[in-house]
Amino acid sequence: MATTNPEAGTTTAAAPAEPLDVTGAPGTLRLPPKAARLLTAAGAVGTFASTMLAWTWTAEFPGDLTYYGSPVDLQTLTLVGSLLTLAVLLAGNGVRGLRWLTPGGKTAPVVLLALGTLGVVWFTAGAIAVVLGGIVNFEPGMWVAVLTSLATVVGALGLRADLPFDPADPALRDPGAWQRFRHSLKSATPAPARELPGWAELLTIAVMFGIGLFVFTYGIDTPYGELFIGFLILVSFGATALARAGLSQRLSKLTGKHRNVTFTAAFVAAACFPFTQSSDQYTSVAANILIFATVALGLNVVVGLAGLLDLGYVAFLGVGAYAAALVSGSDTSVLGVEFPFWAAVLTGAGASLVFGVVIGAPTLRLHGDYLAIVTLGFGEIFRIGMENLDGSSGPSVTNGANGIANIPDLVILGFNFGEDHTIFGVDIGPFANYYLLMLVFTLIIVTIFRRADRSRIGRAWVAVREDETAARAMGINGFRVKLIAFALGATLAGMAGTVQAHVTSSVTPEQYQFVEVVPPNSAFLLAAVILGGMGTVSGPLVGASLLYLIPAKLQFIGDYQLLLFGLALVLLMRYRPEGLLADRRKKLEFHDTGQLDVPTGGPGLSKTEA
Amino acid sequence: MTTTTTTGAPRSAPAGRTDVLRASGVTMRFGGLTAVRGVDLAVDSGEIVGLIGPNGAGKTTFFNCLTGLYIPTEGQVSYKGTVLPHRSHLVTKAGIARTFQNIRLFANMTVLENVLVGRHTRTKEGLLSALLRGPGFRKAERSSEEKAMELLEFTGLAGKREHLARNLPYGEQRKLEIARALASEPGLLLLDEPTAGMTAGETSATRDLVLAVREQGTAVLVIEHDMRFIFNLCDRVAVLVQGEKLVEGSPEVVQADERVVAAYLGTPFEGEPGEAEAAEVREAERATGTGPAAGTAADENPKGERS
Amino acid sequence: MNDLPQQLASGLILGAMYGLIAIGYTMVYGIVQLINFAHGEIVMFGAFGGLTAWLLLPQGTALALALPVMLVMAVGVSVLVGIGAERFAYRPLRGAPRLAPLITAIGLSIMLQQLIWGFYPDAKKARTFPQFSGSSVEILGANIQRGELFLLIAAPVCMIALGFFVAKTRTGRAMQATSQDPDTAKLMGINTDRIIVTAFAIGAAFGGVAAIAYGLKYGQIDFKIGFILGLKAFTAAVLGGIGNIYGAMVGGLVLGLAESLATAYIEHIPGMELFGGGAWKNVWAFVLLILVLLVRPQGLLGERVADRA
Repeated sequence: MATTNPEAGTTTAAAPAEPLDVTGAPGTLRLPPKAARLLTAAGAVGTFASTMLAWTWTAEFPGDLTYYGSPVDLQTLTLVGSLLTLAVLLAGNGVRGLRWLTPGGKTAPVVLLALGTLGVVWFTAGAIAVVLGGIVNFEPGMWVAVLTSLATVVGALGLRADLPFDPADPALRDPGAWQRFRHSLKSATPAPARELPGWAELLTIAVMFGIGLFVFTYGIDTPYGELFIGFLILVSFGATALARAGLSQRLSKLTGKHRNVTFTAAFVAAACFPFTQSSDQYTSVAANILIFATVALGLNVVVGLAGLLDLGYVAFLGVGAYAAALVSGSDTSVLGVEFPFWAAVLTGAGASLVFGVVIGAPTLRLHGDYLAIVTLGFGEIFRIGMENLDGSSGPSVTNGANGIANIPDLVILGFNFGEDHTIFGVDIGPFANYYLLMLVFTLIIVTIFRRADRSRIGRAWVAVREDETAARAMGINGFRVKLIAFALGATLAGMAGTVQAHVTSSVTPEQYQFVEVVPPNSAFLLAAVILGGMGTVSGPLVGASLLYLIPAKLQFIGDYQLLLFGLALVLLMRYRPEGLLADRRKKLEFHDTGQLDVPTGGPGLSKTEA
Repeated sequence: MTTTTTTGAPRSAPAGRTDVLRASGVTMRFGGLTAVRGVDLAVDSGEIVGLIGPNGAGKTTFFNCLTGLYIPTEGQVSYKGTVLPHRSHLVTKAGIARTFQNIRLFANMTVLENVLVGRHTRTKEGLLSALLRGPGFRKAERSSEEKAMELLEFTGLAGKREHLARNLPYGEQRKLEIARALASEPGLLLLDEPTAGMTAGETSATRDLVLAVREQGTAVLVIEHDMRFIFNLCDRVAVLVQGEKLVEGSPEVVQADERVVAAYLGTPFEGEPGEAEAAEVREAERATGTGPAAGTAADENPKGERS
Repeated sequence: MNDLPQQLASGLILGAMYGLIAIGYTMVYGIVQLINFAHGEIVMFGAFGGLTAWLLLPQGTALALALPVMLVMAVGVSVLVGIGAERFAYRPLRGAPRLAPLITAIGLSIMLQQLIWGFYPDAKKARTFPQFSGSSVEILGANIQRGELFLLIAAPVCMIALGFFVAKTRTGRAMQATSQDPDTAKLMGINTDRIIVTAFAIGAAFGGVAAIAYGLKYGQIDFKIGFILGLKAFTAAVLGGIGNIYGAMVGGLVLGLAESLATAYIEHIPGMELFGGGAWKNVWAFVLLILVLLVRPQGLLGERVADRA
């Protein structure tokens, strides 16, 4: 919705040389436009240069920032940030070859990237001061970085905003600095892109996933917490900048056009991950994230698609895991059988399905809040049950609190998952094996999710969520439709559980609680779905990754992890209940935008095969 | 849809009709309140029947009894000879569809999706079919979409298929509700105040739409307050007052009946429904001294306002 | 079976505790249709409040003398937390879809647990709560511990006070009005915000009383007690008919009895020998919940309400 009226009363003389700037509103700081651009560019270059200098004199700060001429870790992040800032600044000013970077907003991404770079630099400075004990530990390079990044931000804040102030909004008649700042972060909708030839579009998608894999790998491989924080800062500001620049929208249009290619590319990129690792250390992290994310996706069917509140979902994961463990041939299992893997999967999924139906049937006829409590209760009962079926407090089934251990590694068609193998010349270890196996399940579950979503039953779920009475009047059997969703979710969790049993090589009751520090647990699963964005495929995957990595990487938060988690939930619901990657429909459900949301061509919202 | 003003009575229903709806003795009690009392109503195929009455007379409650939203305390409802079960989705499956007094569209779904949901009961592709995506599934989806588009064309909404229902102007939302209801291929369509809040032009267009619906073979039972709309459209009109059916007949007969006029104006008349109860209440008030003071206007008009 | 009076008595007293907590759930749900997930933690805070009072009083104070002070402190802390939760967590989300306040409540519940775990001295393991020493009292063939006497007196007092409050006072009637139709209540001049706060406050206060009873009975408290208590209390509220305060107490009593009797006698049922004893006692509450939902979902004292189209 970009308008092109020149702002009333503009007195810039140099109109022909700067056609892009005249349309906006003044920036947060009132600087002459040329000066602002110059300052931003100079600051960015300066920040870039500062990464070549040493920032501290001792290698005791992790990453060893003591060298001249070779930036590492946090300096590398700063370098990337400053280069990106410069790039979007130039792109917004019409430099040939870079214009594709900012089809939408031109100022907002600059501001965001400048702020992100500032964040990384100042965080590093703060961290050095805290870890090493005082500003005295800074080398001149650090000071240079601090000042240049500040200069970049000051310059960026002086740039004119992308949109003029809304003349109808009385609050913006004489906006204060804060309002101008907030306004500068808004951006115009990008014009539709020029049609690229098909191969170019597919190449773009492939490149996009390549970059995504790289970023993800970098994040997982961060060896220490400070680097992870710096990474998070840069990525979050960068992603927002990407969105404001309009690139996200262009990319979504592309992926929307080539859905199957997109998913294949994503799958291939994910499968490449173990091959980028030289050791199994981080692959185990990735495997656990994948399990967590896949289970979250299953919960997304229940919560995101059908709108049912399940607070005990991890119990279904546990049912599958215990079922698989019991038939795995482990010496601590009371059943002395060893099923082939496919049979174990069927057992696990089947058991979860049964429990899903047993829990769902009486409760889904009632108000949704009752389901929440019943599922919460079931989660607890599952744990208590597993703990007490140890022969003394109850019949001996599950070996009580010790659980079923020594679950043997899978051997499918001769491929032993517990051993190292060499594929494509790269050594991959057991965790990588299980990672790839889990990836297959993830693919299955993603396919199930997508197919169920875009179908008659997917529409019925949305209808029931919107207005159950009206849905019933349209001939939808509300109870049956909800039970299908609930049972499907349970089955998917059970499936994932059968793999989890082998990855963790033992199943114990304490792995399946409502909330604990280590995911997966019901609260974290729910949080992953909500944080990431309900109803989408990528939402829970992103949410799960964040919720797994943040506690894992930031060990120093230690005791306060859960406290922050609880606080995060409260704040999330207050300020962004639709989550990070919400689909349009969810955003509408939570915020009454009051705007006419007319489609502009491209794939429609309708959940049809078309 | 063209807007035409039609004069004269509408064509009466063709001969050789069959009973589409037969409601007998339908009574609905909520605790101490009897909202619908022993109402009999029949609709034949090809008929457009109007249901009128002052606010609070029990018309929507009666609809809800017909469609299974409420379980009537007494009485039974049968559709084409079969007694209907008391579950809304089964009633729709049998062949009765409805719209709502306060529009109940799926606001965050598109126009097309709303109508597709309406098709739910005439399609059977379940979860397994959706997951396997066989040729049967694709064929069914395509056919559903075609039928949905036909209905959108029929109601004049084809150009807005991807718009969100919440963003449609009011008149079009009402049309969408009708399209959605028609998607289940009903033999009887229940319309609850379809022209509430509409302009004269929109009302006329709605009338044309209802006539076209009848042309397609669906009988219609419509609740309305717009008398001109009713009398210009319906073959028969039934009047509900205080939960009882007061009068039923052709529009001319009903229009001429003084009691109907009196009921709407709130003036008391001979044999009005609820008279006995009102008398009881007055007696009780007098006995306990809690009634209005003698000689006030309230004393003159024993019928209280009910919203 | 000869200790039946004993089991009945302890079941009823346990049930009274659940009932007091259940009232908190039912009052809030009746007015704002929100399951206050954090209610269990509000009770837990009350327990720690009472403990703090005890610790602050000079050593050697008799428990009987300290009890009123502890009670005031427990109720005070609970009410403060309850009102705070309403004001800062729930009120901003009044119009939001149901999911948002529920998730907020979960987050709040986790936060409250962690605040105690992380910041209260020595709360990482259980802390001992003072108990009455001395022999138990015998009433009608059952041995009642001295600590349980507190609840035997407090629960009826609370219920009578509440009943009077709701039926006879202006605020009580205003509460009934608000729970039936908040918009019309506002039009009648009722300050619905204030009523909602009152509902939270009363629920929290009763929770505080229950907290003291819990401490006196079990002799120790920890940061996790809120979770199970909350779950059971909500079960009790549903059992009795959600939104009905007498139902909450009735539900609590039934639940307490069921738990007590099941724990004592289930193992005598052939085939269930291994399921007796304390390990399974939480399971019975859940089983009871499922049964009630199957058979009489509106609860024992609840009424079916028709849905207006």
